Amino acid sequence: MIRPCVSECNLTNGHVTPIQAVLRRKKSLSKLNFRGIKKEELQRRTSMYLASMTIDELYCEILFEILHNVGCDISYEVGQTALFSYAQDAFKIPNDKHRYLLELAEKKEAPDRMINVEVIEAKDLRPKDSNGMSDPFVTLYLSSNMSHRYNTSVKTMTLNPVWEEHFALPITENTADENLCLEVWDFDPAESVKEKLGKIFDVKGVKGMRKLVKEIAVTATTGQHENELIGRAKIPLSTIPASGMTMWYSLDKKNKINRQGVLKVRVTFSSEKNNQVAEQEYRHLLRIVLLHELETSKVAANWWCGTFTPQGEQLLTQHIAQSGLTPAEVALCQYYVYSSIHQSHALNLTLFSNLLEKLVKPLQVGGVSDEDTKLFWDATKKLLPSCFSIIRKIRRKSVTEKAMVKQVVEVLKILNHIHSLEPPRSNIDLFPDTMYPWVTYQDDRTVPTVLNDAVAQGANDWLNHILENNNKPEESNVGKLQNMIQIIQLVRSDLQKAIEFYDKFFQEIVNFQFAKALYVFYQARICILCEPDVIEICKNLRSLQYSSYNDLTKQEGSPDPLAEGTSLFELYLALQRFATLGIGLCPADYDTFHIKNFHQWFHGGVAQWLDIAVYKALQRIEKAVELDQLVHVDSNVKYSSSAVDTLTIFYQVKVFWEQLNWPDVESCYTFIAKIIDDICRCCVFYADKMSARVEGMGDTQDDKKFEVTAEWCLAINNIDYVRETLEPFTRDLGMDGVIHKIGEMKSPVEAQRCQHTLDNVIANAIDTVRNKIIELLETVVNKMAPAMKRLLIEGAELGDQDSNSCDRLMMYVDNNLGTLHRELNEENFSRTLEVVWEMLNGTLGEIIQSNIEKRRPPAFFANLRKTLKLMTGSFKNPQNCDNDCDELRRTEQILRLNGLETAELIHEVHLELAKEFEKVKDSQLGEISIKTKFEENTLTIEVMNARNLLPMDSNGTCDAFVRIHLLPEAKFTNIEKPKTKTHNRTQFPLFDETFVLKLTPEQRELEDALILFSVKDKDLLGYNNQYIGEAYLPFKDIEDTSQSIGVMPQIHLQLARPTDKSMCLDSIKALEYRQGDKQAKEFLRKLKQRMGT
Amino acid sequence: MSAVRHNTRSPNKNTLLKVVILGDGGVGKSCLMNRFVSNQFDEHSFHTIGVEFLNKDVEIDSETYTLQIWDTAGQERFKTLRTPFYRGSDICMLTYAVDDKISFKNLQLWKNEFLYYADIKENAQFPFIVIGNKSDVTSEEREVTQLEMEMWCNENSITSCIETSAKNASNVHEAFKMAVQHWLRLENRADRNEPHIDDTVDLTKKSTANRTSCCIATGDE
Ligand SMILES: Nc1nc2c(ncn2[C@@H]2O[C@H](COP(=O)(O)OP(=O)(O)O)[C@@H](O)[C@H]2O)c(=O)[nH]1
Ligand SMILES: [Mg+2]
Repeated sequence: MIRPCVSECNLTNGHVTPIQAVLRRKKSLSKLNFRGIKKEELQRRTSMYLASMTIDELYCEILFEILHNVGCDISYEVGQTALFSYAQDAFKIPNDKHRYLLELAEKKEAPDRMINVEVIEAKDLRPKDSNGMSDPFVTLYLSSNMSHRYNTSVKTMTLNPVWEEHFALPITENTADENLCLEVWDFDPAESVKEKLGKIFDVKGVKGMRKLVKEIAVTATTGQHENELIGRAKIPLSTIPASGMTMWYSLDKKNKINRQGVLKVRVTFSSEKNNQVAEQEYRHLLRIVLLHELETSKVAANWWCGTFTPQGEQLLTQHIAQSGLTPAEVALCQYYVYSSIHQSHALNLTLFSNLLEKLVKPLQVGGVSDEDTKLFWDATKKLLPSCFSIIRKIRRKSVTEKAMVKQVVEVLKILNHIHSLEPPRSNIDLFPDTMYPWVTYQDDRTVPTVLNDAVAQGANDWLNHILENNNKPEESNVGKLQNMIQIIQLVRSDLQKAIEFYDKFFQEIVNFQFAKALYVFYQARICILCEPDVIEICKNLRSLQYSSYNDLTKQEGSPDPLAEGTSLFELYLALQRFATLGIGLCPADYDTFHIKNFHQWFHGGVAQWLDIAVYKALQRIEKAVELDQLVHVDSNVKYSSSAVDTLTIFYQVKVFWEQLNWPDVESCYTFIAKIIDDICRCCVFYADKMSARVEGMGDTQDDKKFEVTAEWCLAINNIDYVRETLEPFTRDLGMDGVIHKIGEMKSPVEAQRCQHTLDNVIANAIDTVRNKIIELLETVVNKMAPAMKRLLIEGAELGDQDSNSCDRLMMYVDNNLGTLHRELNEENFSRTLEVVWEMLNGTLGEIIQSNIEKRRPPAFFANLRKTLKLMTGSFKNPQNCDNDCDELRRTEQILRLNGLETAELIHEVHLELAKEFEKVKDSQLGEISIKTKFEENTLTIEVMNARNLLPMDSNGTCDAFVRIHLLPEAKFTNIEKPKTKTHNRTQFPLFDETFVLKLTPEQRELEDALILFSVKDKDLLGYNNQYIGEAYLPFKDIEDTSQSIGVMPQIHLQLARPTDKSMCLDSIKALEYRQGDKQAKEFLRKLKQRMGT
Repeated sequence: MSAVRHNTRSPNKNTLLKVVILGDGGVGKSCLMNRFVSNQFDEHSFHTIGVEFLNKDVEIDSETYTLQIWDTAGQERFKTLRTPFYRGSDICMLTYAVDDKISFKNLQLWKNEFLYYADIKENAQFPFIVIGNKSDVTSEEREVTQLEMEMWCNENSITSCIETSAKNASNVHEAFKMAVQHWLRLENRADRNEPHIDDTVDLTKKSTANRTSCCIATGDE
C-alpha cells in the first residue's frame, strides 16, 4: 500500500500545479477560463460552491453517477434499479422528488470522464537497431479516436525502458467497445535523435528544454521518420474495474508469433471534477450511506469496521472513480467522516488505525493540501477522546478481556500514528480543556503526556471507585486493616492484569511502560492510604494479655489484640508482595518510591507479631498435647505425635520469620534473640503440658505404688526430641547471615558480641529444657522412690530370710527399670539412672540416719547393703555406675562401715588413719627410722632411732620410748606388744633394738594387717605417759627376705596424731554412733588420748 | 519463672531468674553487666545493639541462682526492640549515672515502660532495684546525690537502691545480690499467701547444694 505518494496522487502527469488540481470541475468552473483567474478567486468560488451544496444537488449527482457507472465491475453485483432504491433510502428522498431529480440527472450532459494512463516501463523489448538496442517510446490512443495520439519520451539505447509518465485521455459516453491502444516504437529520426539531443546544450532555460523534448516527440509521431513498430497492446476499457488496475501487457506485432516484450501500465478512471468538491461530495455521501447502513443493519457499537452492503459499496466506489479521487483523498474523507460518526456511534477502531496507516505517509511528506490537513486534524481531535476514554476505562467490566485488549491495541496504533505525525501546536488545540477535563498536564499536552494522564486517571477513577465501594464506615482497626488488604489485593490483581494483557502492547506500539506507570501511581496512593493508619495502629497496639506462658487457659482480656495483630501482619505481607512486584516492574526507579520504606510503618508491630506467634504456638502445642494418643509415631522412633506436631509448630514460627523478611539487620538480630527465647519458652511449656498429660498415669490405687508406663517414657522422649531440634532450628533462622551483615555494617567486634549473645541465648534455652527433662525424670523416679525405699528397709530387716514382699518389690523395681530401659532412648535412660542414683543416695542416707538413731545392729546395715547391691545389680546400667555416682558410692561406704562388727570397724579406723598419715610430710612431731623384714612367718623389726621429737618436757627434751602394736588387735592377742627402752632427755634417741616376732601363718597372711609404732614420753611416775606421735606400716609394705636385717634399707616414718579432721572419718563416726558398745567407747576414748588433747 | 515460684523445681537445680537492666544510653548498663559476669571493664565499649544476654550464677544463703541477664539498648530507636524482652522478667534494674541528672530523671519513664510491656499484674509488687552507676566520679562531676536517689525510691516504694561503679568494681556484685534478695523477699511473701501443693513424696529435706552434672556448668567466682 505504501507507495510514494507523488505517483499516487498526480493523475495527469508529473507536473501538476495546485491550480490545476483545484480546477477540475468542468460545469461550474470551466477549464476554458482558468487562464487569467487568480488563485484566490478560484478558491473563493470553490468555497462558495461547497458552502451552498445541498442534499438534493448531491443526490442528483449520485443519481447521475449511477446512470454513468464505469468499470468492468459494475452491475455484475448490483443492478441500477437496486442502486437507485438504495440511494433513495439512504438519502431519504420521497418518490416524487426522486423522480424529479432523476430526470434532472438524466438530462445532464454525460460526465467528462477521463481515463488516466501511467506508462510505467517495458521489458525484454526486441532490438531494432544495428547495435542490438532500441530507442523505444510509447504511443497511446483510444480506438475511437485514433488521430488523437499521445507519446512518451524516447529512451535511448535500451531494451528495458522506464518512463513513469502520466496521460489523461478523455473518454466518450460509449465505453463498451472502447479500447486503449498502446504501441511501442523504435525511434529512428531523419535528423537523428542524437543530433537533436546534441542541441540540448544550446537550449536555455527549462521552457526551452520542454520545447525541445516536444519537438523530439513530434518528430517521432508525424511520420517524418522511419520509426519502426516494436509491438502493440490493446486494452478493452470494459476490462478495467472502477477502482482501476495496474498490469503487465505483452506486446504483439502482426505476422509475428514471438512476443515483442512486455509493457507495464496503470489505468484508472477519473473525472475532471474539482477535487475539493468531489471530496466534499464523497464525505457527504459516505456519511449518508454509513448512517443509513448503521441504521438499517443495527450494527452494535464498536463493531462496524468498514464493510458496506454491495449497493453502498458501489455507490461509493463509483463516486470515487467518477470523481477521480485518489486513495489518499478517499482515506482522508473516510477518516474524517468516520471520526465524526464515531462520536455518536462508536465504530470499530481498527477502521481508524488502518486508515491512519494509509494516511501517515502522505501527511508526512506534505502531499496533502492544507485544507485536507486541517480536516485531518479536526477529525483526529474528534477521534482522540474516544481513544483515551478506552484507555481510561480499560478496566470496564462489560467488555471481555480479549475484546478490550483488541480495542486497546487499536487505540495504541492510532495514538502511535498520530504521534508520529507531530500534531500541529499552533493552529489546532488537539486537547482542549473542555474535552479533557481530567488531564492534569497544563502546558505540554502531547499524545504521550495525555496518554500517561489517561492511564493514571483511569487508575485513579478505578481506585476511587473501589475505595468508595469498600468504604464501610468501619470503626474497628481490624476492619480498617482488612479493608486495606482487600484494596491492595485488588490493585495487585489490576497490575497483574496490566502485565499479563496490556503492558507488552503498550511497550511495543507506543513505547509506553503501562504497568510501570500504573505501579508508580498505585504505590503513591497505597502509601497515602495505608501509612498513617498503620503507624497509628502500631502505636496503639495493646500487648497480649495472658498471665503466663505456663497457663494459657487463664488468658485474660479480649481477643482483639490478636485479631488486630494478625490483620496487621496480613497487611504487611500484602504490602510486601506489592513492593516485590514494584522491584520487578521498576528495578531502576524502585528506590525513589515511597513504598520502599513500608517496613518502617510496621516497626512497632513486629514485637506484637512475635508475641502472637508465640501465643499461637503455645495454643497449638496445648492442642497437640491434648490430641496426642501417646503411641509411637512409627515403630522406628520412640516419640509420639505431639513431638512431631510441636516441631511443625516451631516450623510455622520459622515460616513466619521468613515471611517477615525484615530488612534491617540490627532489628533482625534482636528479633532472632527474642524468637530463640520464645521457642525455649514453648519447649518448657510443652514439657509442662506433656508431664501434666501423663501425670496420674501409672498411679495404682490399691497399694499406692507407681508403675512406670510407656506413656511416661514417651513424654520424656518427646521433650528430648523437641529439645534436640532447638539448636538446628535456631540456626535455621538465618542468624549467620544477620551476624555477617552486622559485621559489615558495624564492626567485627560488635558482630562477635551479637553472636555471643545469640549463642548464650541458645545455650540457655537448651539447658533450660534439659533441666525440664530432668525435672520430669525426677518426678518419675520420685514416684518410684517409696517402693524402693520399702524394698531396702524390708531387705535390711529380714536379712537372708525369704520374703514374698521382698521379691515383689524386687520385681517392681526390675519391671519399672525394664520399662524405662525399653522405652526411653539411651541418653534419657542414662539420665534416669543418674536421677535414680541421686534419689537412692538420698533415700539411703535417710534410712541409715534414722536407723543409726534407732541403734540398729550392724547386721541391719549389712543386710541393707546387700539389698542395695541386689537392687542396683538389676538396673539396666549401660556403664559402670561407679563412674557416675560418687555420692552414692560414699553413702554405700558409710553403709558398709555401719554394717561392720565393732572390731572390724576399729581396724577400719586404723586403715583410714594409716592412709591419712601417709600424706604427712616434715612432721612437727618428729620421725622414727626402722628396718623390717619377714622371713617365713617371722617378723623382724629393728627400731633404730627417732629424730626431732617434739619436746614434751619443761626442759625442752623428751624421755621417749616406742611401743609396737600389731593390728587388728583381736588377731594378734597371743603376741605381747614389744616396747623399747626409754631414752631420757633427748629429742634424738638412738634405740637400736631389734624385735623378732613369731606369727602364725594365718596372721602372716592377713590382708590388711598393720604395725603401729607409738612414740610416747615416759612420765616420771609412769602413770600418765604422754603421746608424742605414731606411725603405721602395713604388712604388705614389708619385704619377705632371707637377708639379714642389717642390710635392709632404713624406713623413715613421719610421726602423726589423729586430728579433729580424722574425727570426721566415716568409720569413726560410725563408731561414735555405737554408743552402747563398750569396745567402741573404749577405742574412742583412747583415740582422743592419741590426739594429744 | 513461675515454675520456680510454685516450688516444683527441686533444690539441687539452680533457680533461674530473668533480670532486665534498663536505663538511658551511656549510664553504664553494659559495663555493669560485663563487670558482674566477667569482671572486666572496657572504657571504650560499643553501644549495645538491641539487647545483649549473659548468664551468671550467684550464691545466696548457699542457694545458687542463675541470673539470665538481658542488657538493653537505651536509645529511643531501639524501643521496639527491647520491650519484647520485658515479659517474664523476675527482676528489673533501673539504672542511671550519678553524673547525669537527666538519666536519673528518666527513671520514671523507664519504670513505666517496663510495667507497661512486662505485662505485670496491677498492684503486684515487683522487684525493682535502682542503681546509681559511676559512683567513682569526682564530687564536682556528680549531679545526683545518694539522698536524692533514696528519696525517689521512697516515693516509688522501691526498697532497694545502691550506688555502683563498674569502673572500679565497687558494689557491682552487691547490687545483683541485693536484687536477688529483694526478689526472694517478695517471693517468700507470695509463697506464704498462696499455699503450694506438693504432690510428690518429699525426699528433699537433706539438701545437696551441688548441681547435677548435666546442668549448666558455670564457674563460680
Ligand atoms: N566513670 C565511669 N564510667 C563508666 C562506668 N560505667 C560505664 N562507664 C562509661 O560509660 C560509658 C557508657 O557505658 P555503657 O556500658 O556502654 O553504657 P550503656 O549504654 O548504659 O550500656 C562508657 O564510656 C563507659 O566507659 C563507671 O562506673 N564509671
Ligand atoms: Mg549498653
